Amino acid sequence: MINTLLSLNEATRTVNSGSNKVALLDNIDLQVKEGEFISLMGPSGSGKSTLLNCIGMLDNFTGGGYTFLGEPVHSMKERNRSKLYKEYIGFVFQAYHLIDELTVYENIETPLLYKNVKSSERKAMVADMLDRFNIVGKKDLFPIQLSGGQQQLVGIARALIGKPKLILADEPTGNLNSKQSTDIMELFSQLNKEGVTIIQATHSENNASYGSRIINLLDGKIVSE
Amino acid sequence: MIRSYIKIAWRNIKGSPLFSSINILGLTLSLAITTLLFLFVQHENSFNTMFSKKDQIYRVLTETSESYDNTTYATAPAMVAPTSIEDIPEIIDAVRFLKHGFGEPAYISTGTSEFIESSLYYADSSLFRIFDFKLTQGIANKALVKPNTGIISKTTAIRYFGTDQAIGKLFKIDDRIDIEITGVFQDLPTNTTLDGNIYVSFTTSFFSRRPTWSNASLETYILTAKGSKDSALKSKLKQMLDKHVDKESQWYTLNVQDLGKVHLYSNEIENGYSSRKGSIEQVKSLSWLALLILIIACINYMNLTTARSQKRSREVGVSKTLGASVSNLMIRFYAETGLITAISISLGVGLALLCLPFFNQIAGKEIPDSMLWSATFIITLVAIWAITTLLAGSYPAIYMSSLSAKKILSGGKIGTYWSTNVRKGLVVMQFGASTLLIIGVFVIYNQLKYIQDKDLGFDTEQVMAISINGINEANNVKVLEQELAKLSIVSNVASAQGFPGKTVSGRMVQNPLEDDGGMAVQTNRADAEALNVMGLRFIAGKNLPLVKKEGDSLIDVVVNKKIVDYLGYTPEEAIGKHIQMLPSNNAFIVGVVEDFNYASLREPIGAYAFHNLSTEYKEYMLVKMKVTDLNQSISSIEESFKKVVPNVPFDYSFLDQNIEQLYIEEKQTATIGMIFSLLAIFVACLGLFGLAAFTAEQRDKEIGIRKVLGASVVGIVKLLSADFIKLVAIALLIAFPLAYYVMNNWLQDFAYRINISWHPFVFTGLCALGIAMFTVSFQAIKAAIANPVDSLKTE
Repeated sequence: MINTLLSLNEATRTVNSGSNKVALLDNIDLQVKEGEFISLMGPSGSGKSTLLNCIGMLDNFTGGGYTFLGEPVHSMKERNRSKLYKEYIGFVFQAYHLIDELTVYENIETPLLYKNVKSSERKAMVADMLDRFNIVGKKDLFPIQLSGGQQQLVGIARALIGKPKLILADEPTGNLNSKQSTDIMELFSQLNKEGVTIIQATHSENNASYGSRIINLLDGKIVSE
Repeated sequence: MIRSYIKIAWRNIKGSPLFSSINILGLTLSLAITTLLFLFVQHENSFNTMFSKKDQIYRVLTETSESYDNTTYATAPAMVAPTSIEDIPEIIDAVRFLKHGFGEPAYISTGTSEFIESSLYYADSSLFRIFDFKLTQGIANKALVKPNTGIISKTTAIRYFGTDQAIGKLFKIDDRIDIEITGVFQDLPTNTTLDGNIYVSFTTSFFSRRPTWSNASLETYILTAKGSKDSALKSKLKQMLDKHVDKESQWYTLNVQDLGKVHLYSNEIENGYSSRKGSIEQVKSLSWLALLILIIACINYMNLTTARSQKRSREVGVSKTLGASVSNLMIRFYAETGLITAISISLGVGLALLCLPFFNQIAGKEIPDSMLWSATFIITLVAIWAITTLLAGSYPAIYMSSLSAKKILSGGKIGTYWSTNVRKGLVVMQFGASTLLIIGVFVIYNQLKYIQDKDLGFDTEQVMAISINGINEANNVKVLEQELAKLSIVSNVASAQGFPGKTVSGRMVQNPLEDDGGMAVQTNRADAEALNVMGLRFIAGKNLPLVKKEGDSLIDVVVNKKIVDYLGYTPEEAIGKHIQMLPSNNAFIVGVVEDFNYASLREPIGAYAFHNLSTEYKEYMLVKMKVTDLNQSISSIEESFKKVVPNVPFDYSFLDQNIEQLYIEEKQTATIGMIFSLLAIFVACLGLFGLAAFTAEQRDKEIGIRKVLGASVVGIVKLLSADFIKLVAIALLIAFPLAYYVMNNWLQDFAYRINISWHPFVFTGLCALGIAMFTVSFQAIKAAIANPVDSLKTE
């Protein structure tokens, strides 16, 4: 049987704008099963990024319930929450967000450092990853020396190195041309087939079609599935 | 993990060479200064700590009553040492030191060459039992026992004889006293009060033949039983005095001073023989200076580091999403700070090492290089490193690691109201501190200049004082006087016991109508011509007679106004009056001169008298010169001198130099302060530069939009500069009253002092604003002329 990875129950995120409360996310109900590939769609300001940030625990819901792998995230302490996302979640950003001062190799290695993985093990894992993404020859280059597509490849490799159950990708192809976009999306579906759950936010119908499920957002509400 | 942090830190340093070099430069300069100042403080504090019995050694002080001259002297009567050993069980041993000629240089002749020795002492043989002297030749028990024997330091032996195998060699002091060398001692370190190059047996000195309770001229150190208390010693010394000296003859009481305090706490104590005198005040003010400069440097670092927060924050945000905890990030920033401070400390210590000889020169100290490698200093360095890293690294570490990942990565501007204000506060502090330093230096400088330019009441310019102690034949003095007078460059020649700026004989002048114990007076045996050379101004009567007839028992005295005021006469009335001051009942006032500042301007003018009673030697020949080509004049005077007394070394000084010597400590502090304050200002500017860069970066979007909307470059420069000018203005407002208060306090030490005027404040204010303007404009203009398209483009 397929497990539920996470579930949102009337999850809400509000901010104060002057004296008004504005709901960025309004009563979201969502179940995500392991192995799904979900595309979030909607116009700018519809709440896609906020939803990703909240699911990724970079941000918190202000109301409702959020359960991740059966654990109630909304009532967790900061410490346990960060433990949780360190363990299970990988991020991919539109602007790649590689660390400029580190080489490709070191960028990919960084999450392992924070997980206190042993040096020999780290080496093997990074080497595997470089191999798998075909970027062994680029391991000593700095991000600035790579094309956008290559940088995003490194970004994905870095997100995957910790063997996450869930990858959150916010407009992963937003800064790429169509050829590079197609490559990245192909990669995502490949990963998905291998069992990684993916949630991506995107504007592009074409990218969204790679997913197994499309969710449309408007003004912080799910309007259709 | 740490390795990876250091790797990132290193790449960060390399990746932004401008910021890193500003940062490292600022820290290096400050740490070099701090290193020098700490060395100085440590050297001063280490004085006399190398003696193994240091806790049991005290110096005996002589304190005079209020009715006498209310002074503490570092010297004690000759009877104190032997009597105290006998009478007081706690006192185990004692050693007496007498500096040659009460501090005047000795003329040494080895038979083949002559030397001027300014550090020759007469000392008891107990020297070896109290202080740790290591003899490389000779036997400690026997070395200073017999009259006409002496020990010599290794370096001095080499200077005199060309070898340190000097035992058995002979020399003559002042052409009178023959000495045989019975020991050669290892040079003492520079951080001891004992500065003698030669110690001659005390039995050679006339004090050993006629020890008294009345003449307090011997620096006396006692060795006490372990655990003796100062207060107990003091009362036992009092009992001893009562037992041996009549009440009426007790013009002093005895006290003791811990050896540990002798160096730094003897500012108020007169007559100490050592040429090495420290001042706790100086140590304190320089310690504060070191701390202030270190703080300025740390603030600088914080400002420059957080200035790049916009750029660095992305890295923080990414690290956080990759699983870095707050403590991971804090360690990471501390590692970076630690690396930079380590680099800066190494460079700073190197710089300090290079500057040490120069520093020694301006500070008038002899700090050896070897102190840099001492264990204590290395521990201090590690402590400085740790403190600087914590102090400078905490703000970036705490601030940066607490940033929210989501906020950073969603492209929001970081830098909250709070953090911006902290940074502004730091700049205010930094500029305030620098302003304080500059004003302080200014006031000190002005006061010193005031002292130098003040009409002292006598002429100091172009007056040379030649020491004639070494001339034994009275006739030779006369011949020399005539020879010098013949020179065309010389206008007057005279002889005297001393001159203003030098201590002469302290006596008491009695007022027959009042029974108040009298007033302390400085008496100077002099020629009539001496008063002319010094250009003293007569207000009544006449000068001393030119020639004193053989067998004339009448003593002539010229007094200053202070004395006639005390005696209750007008200057005119005083002429011809009998005066009770000298050991003679036959002294009469023949002239009155205006008051003049014969001592430091820290003290008000006291009583001073010239006389022709032959109780004292005339030790100096005073030569007033006509022309200002000094080198030429000095060499022709030396030529005449050598012609008359070829065997006596030519030793001279100028009166104005002697006067300057009185303010040497202030001058040193001022010079050190001046140089270091300028550096502090420079470092503060580096910090301001960083802050300006930060603000420009923070507001680049705003600037871009304003430019698109039509703002001019000038308008934008103004916009960016205004904030900083405000900060500097606040700093000035805080620093001004503080500086006024501190410096006014300092000036209270001087009897003659300047009023603090508005000049230094205006000057410092303009300087600070000007420098700040310049620094900020650089960044502001850069931001203002940038293409707005670049700053408005988003990723």
